[in-house]
Amino acid sequence: MTEIVEQELKDRLKLIETMIAEGRRTTESWGWVFVFWGVAYYIAIAWTAFNQWPWAWLVTMMAAWIMCWAIIRSKRKNQPKQSPGTTIGRAIYSIWAAMGVSLCLLLPALGFSGRFNQHVFVAIVAAMLAVANGASGMILRWKAQIASAMVWWAAAVAACFGSDNQCTVVFVVAIFFCQIVFGIYGMILESRLRRQEAVHA
Amino acid sequence: MPELPELNPVIHGKLRLALLSLLAGVDEAEFTWLRAKTGSTDGNLGAQLLKLEEAGYVSVEKKFVQRKPQTLYRMTETGRAALTEYVQALRQLLGGAIGD
Repeated sequence: MTEIVEQELKDRLKLIETMIAEGRRTTESWGWVFVFWGVAYYIAIAWTAFNQWPWAWLVTMMAAWIMCWAIIRSKRKNQPKQSPGTTIGRAIYSIWAAMGVSLCLLLPALGFSGRFNQHVFVAIVAAMLAVANGASGMILRWKAQIASAMVWWAAAVAACFGSDNQCTVVFVVAIFFCQIVFGIYGMILESRLRRQEAVHA
Repeated sequence: MPELPELNPVIHGKLRLALLSLLAGVDEAEFTWLRAKTGSTDGNLGAQLLKLEEAGYVSVEKKFVQRKPQTLYRMTETGRAALTEYVQALRQLLGGAIGD
């Protein structure tokens, strides 16, 4: 086989790899969702701390879910050229949707049964967020998200120990790193990607 | 030009190979998205997609979304199998070349 043919074959293989990766690249932005939910958690924590209203979390989470859904819907409407759906995208969406359903069922059930307390709440929420972040990070091979999952796992374990105040501090710190900082980092990466796409277009 | 008898000629064309590879990574794709990713002209893209469709490697669905026409392309199982065979053939040929 001549060198020219060999190089041509190698180019074909490279083309296949590049195009498959290009197809999987998404221009949709999700960093803001992490920041949005981080802020929603802070509002719920503050509302519960200052007002002691037992439904503060439920009301804040429902309002946040409706707002998040409305923003995503409006963003998609105003974005004519959407990325096509991929198996990876569907897998990640399924993990987060399943986590959301689990939390929506489990937390109110604990509340109604009278077995709810702050430690159990933080441990469950942190463990669920760790699973979703960990699975997404492993699928995407994204070390930053796996690190975020580790912080949530540590928070879930830490929530089982100490006083109520210490438990709140653990939750607030984990939200700061895994929602606010990670979300802003994601937004910076997405904005870089969009700038690169604009240059190549 | 040296012969490459083991490689599927329908897939071997650069644009057709790029299109099949793009479609391998997604559920379905719009004509405009494929055009943006490959940087090809409407005419050339349409002609190459037609060849892939005739070979049974892609399926086409035309519909209207908010009164605008939309052409969606999907890779068929035959197309996926053909691409897999093509990649295996490429690797075999390159493996042989390394041994030469």
